[in-house]
Amino acid sequence: MCRIAGILSQQHPLQALQVSITNICAALQHGGPDDEGIWSDETAGLVLGHRRLSLLDLSSAGHQPMLYQDRYVISFNGEIYNFQQLRSELQQLGHQFRTQTDTEVILAAYEQWGTQSFARLEGMFAFALWDKTDQTLLLVRDRSGIKPLYYIHTADGIAFASETKVFQYLPQPPANNPNWPVLMLAYGHLPEPVTTYQHVVPLPKGFFLRYQQGHISLQSFGFYSFSSSEDTKATAAQNIAALLRTAVKNHLIADAPIGVFLSGGIDSGILFLLAAEQKKQGLNSLSLYFSEEKYSEKTYQDLLLQQVNCQRNQYKLEGNEFLETLPKILHDMDLPSCDGINTWFISKYAKEQGLKAVLSGIGADELLGGYPSFKRLKLAALVQQSPNLALGSKLIRGRKLSRLNYLQMEGISGLYLFLRGHFAPTDIAHQLGATEKEVWDILQSAPVLPDIQRLHPQNQASWMETNLYMQNQLLRDADVMSMAHGIEIRVPFLDHAFQSYCMSLGPAIKYDTALPKGLLIEAFKKELPEPVWNRPKMGFSFPFTEWFAESSFVKETMNEGSELQQKNYQQFLTGDLHWSQLLSLMIIQQQHPVYA
Amino acid sequence: MRNHFLLLTLNIFSATGGIEKVCRVAGKALFEKMTLDQQRLMIWSMHDKAEAAENNTYFPAELYRTFRGNKAAFVKAAVAQGAKSDTVILSHINLLMVAWMIKKIAPRTRIILMAHGIEIWNHANSVKSNMFRCVNNFWAVSEYTRQRIIASHGVAPEKISVLNNCLDPNLPLPKNILIPHGLHQRYGINEGDKIVFTLTRLSSKERYKGYDKVIAALKAMQRTDIKYIIAGKADAQETALIQEEIRQAGLQNQVILAGFLPDEELAAHFMMSDLYIMPSSKEGFGIVFIEAMYYGLPVIGGNADGTMDALLHGKLGTVVTPGNVNEIKDAMESLLSNREKYVPDHDSLMNHFGYESYKSKLEVLLH
Repeated sequence: MCRIAGILSQQHPLQALQVSITNICAALQHGGPDDEGIWSDETAGLVLGHRRLSLLDLSSAGHQPMLYQDRYVISFNGEIYNFQQLRSELQQLGHQFRTQTDTEVILAAYEQWGTQSFARLEGMFAFALWDKTDQTLLLVRDRSGIKPLYYIHTADGIAFASETKVFQYLPQPPANNPNWPVLMLAYGHLPEPVTTYQHVVPLPKGFFLRYQQGHISLQSFGFYSFSSSEDTKATAAQNIAALLRTAVKNHLIADAPIGVFLSGGIDSGILFLLAAEQKKQGLNSLSLYFSEEKYSEKTYQDLLLQQVNCQRNQYKLEGNEFLETLPKILHDMDLPSCDGINTWFISKYAKEQGLKAVLSGIGADELLGGYPSFKRLKLAALVQQSPNLALGSKLIRGRKLSRLNYLQMEGISGLYLFLRGHFAPTDIAHQLGATEKEVWDILQSAPVLPDIQRLHPQNQASWMETNLYMQNQLLRDADVMSMAHGIEIRVPFLDHAFQSYCMSLGPAIKYDTALPKGLLIEAFKKELPEPVWNRPKMGFSFPFTEWFAESSFVKETMNEGSELQQKNYQQFLTGDLHWSQLLSLMIIQQQHPVYA
Repeated sequence: MRNHFLLLTLNIFSATGGIEKVCRVAGKALFEKMTLDQQRLMIWSMHDKAEAAENNTYFPAELYRTFRGNKAAFVKAAVAQGAKSDTVILSHINLLMVAWMIKKIAPRTRIILMAHGIEIWNHANSVKSNMFRCVNNFWAVSEYTRQRIIASHGVAPEKISVLNNCLDPNLPLPKNILIPHGLHQRYGINEGDKIVFTLTRLSSKERYKGYDKVIAALKAMQRTDIKYIIAGKADAQETALIQEEIRQAGLQNQVILAGFLPDEELAAHFMMSDLYIMPSSKEGFGIVFIEAMYYGLPVIGGNADGTMDALLHGKLGTVVTPGNVNEIKDAMESLLSNREKYVPDHDSLMNHFGYESYKSKLEVLLH
């Protein structure tokens, strides 16, 4: 995993483009500490940049941008887990390889199969591929959207990067998007395709973009859809176990040290046990715990650790360290987010242990029914369709109940905001000095999501959690916060075969159990200690409310803001505002003039 | 919510004809455009079997809904949904009634009708011709289809645009096609034989594809080194008829009725052939021509229908007068004696009929 960037423009001198990319690469250095490469094509007006975090073929042979057969050039961020199979297949077709990297396999596959090669790549990736002969630039992003890739296309040309903040270094920086605070306060993050800049958008997952002679076109090469296999529950549990074992095995391939995040929960517990099966020696576990007993999952971490002989790394995170670090965490954030702090810390510890990659349990809750929304969505959808809703919601004023207002919005966005919304529309209007109509107009304008009402309610919940919460919050936080320390997070639950299989199972097989993620538990009942899966649900597992209240940085930031911000801070202290809401308001204050 | 698009179809996945191919590719192109433009799309089928869209590679199944042949339910739902949509695209003239009803309820909904070929030219029904008034734009697959609509139904020419069919972007690249061992043996092809290929439905009701004329031309050529493979689903009556023609021509050792070919075998057939021929007289467009040319095969088609678009009026392939056995014979002789000269220009083919080019045209037409 690395960081990539590039500009293709005939409107600026090459030197100006090179300066831009040099500055961008410097700003992205955290995500690629091991090497830097810049490659230019003067005639085309193209500069490609790359910051490398090396995990495969650590030698200089893996240097990027990588040139292939004097025709193709690539700047690649990610991991291709089936690269060895593809490599053998390509060798049989007559290809010869100079390196042991997956990067070279992408190039050979493209040479062999053209853009159809992208569907064969299994893994997490975002890359730019330049064809010197055709003078064509391709941008490609994996089908789960695990790796980020943002771009801007103007009359000037096209520019792209792994993070949005660096677009400020372009010869012509993009204008700010005035609407983002509304979406941030509604969602707690910016839902794709929204960013803080106008015209800077993410490449949709499973798409490639072709840029040739000023013209862009986007094409899909893969997506995940629900289907309906006829497997029984017993077969499904067996298959899930087998597929996840293979996924973990493939995700452990690296020439650099690799570890597993161990929270004490079911998902990370399973990954940890499976990784230990594969790696008899040299497995590193990473866990956080707190002196505040009610948040600590140490008991469960210890239970799992007892089963395995591994290098244990358990860190006690104290309030002091958190308070000192908070400004740096906010600085490391790319697009605004009300979460991700835990990932920042665990990645920091991983780095201190000399690890380069870590497995994380993202994806299990979304695919296999781990969230409350899997139970609640059906009722919410009924209320949403009720004709009396508009009348009723006008009478509702309490903060918690006022999220009901979101059910006036059509479709899955309305359901998401009702179930997971951050601030209610009235509060957003109040916070941003806007009218409610202005807020509603912005919320209606983006994101535009498909009508998925026809799906089974629990599959609707799965779609919603995967495409909104996981996509825009979890994966983005995981990427940015791990890259802040030059650590790669790998997500075996989003393995191609595993995810495809989960999505093929009917709702009755997949979700119909007394326990959330019952099928996953069933699949690993023998391995997983009972107290780990059969225990009272813990709420959020960080003592942030207490720590935020003690933070002088938070206090000063809020008190430097407008009168409204000072009032917001008081509300937080009296328990009327959640810490994550406070965090969002702080971020807006830092990045947007509304509270100045 | 702004910009809702609804694509209404009869079949997309549960049938294998040209119109279904167009629907799949149009569905993909619309899905990609709507993703980029942040607009909402639904793709509905009246007749597809349940779960037909599962695991398809064209567009996510979430966008898709089938009514499994329940016409009444389809019409009711499509009218309601169409009235809420900004644009409704009909993939077939048989859906015109739905559009007419949508327009009664929601006059501002834009109606686009895709016109393929014979299904629309031959619609003599005057009620339907009146219903054409509810259509804002026609997308004809060829200039020929466009002219036929103007002539048969009195539609204003400016309402009809040409959107030629295109190559499916999922077609494997020619260089990745391996001709399986045994394919030559299957048809009894000997070293040095020339292979002439036609792929079409053999229907006793249609009889316009011209393979009977190719058989006649082959008889006149009196060459034993030519094998003529006619592949495609055939009805019993047509099979009997054509077998009789082959027998009368004395070409039992040269003409092979190969029957239905699965999709994964098509490319290998194109690759192993020397010539694709279909001097048809009623093609709306003829996707099979551009597919054959994609695999580098010289082609012969008719000069009297939509084939002229597919062959770029003779620039990409050779055109003959359908029914004129002598012309067909001469064209076959020329092509077989100098194959290289007639290999279609790949860049020109892709510029006109590549998927990217189709999408660019679609974007302009939707504007």
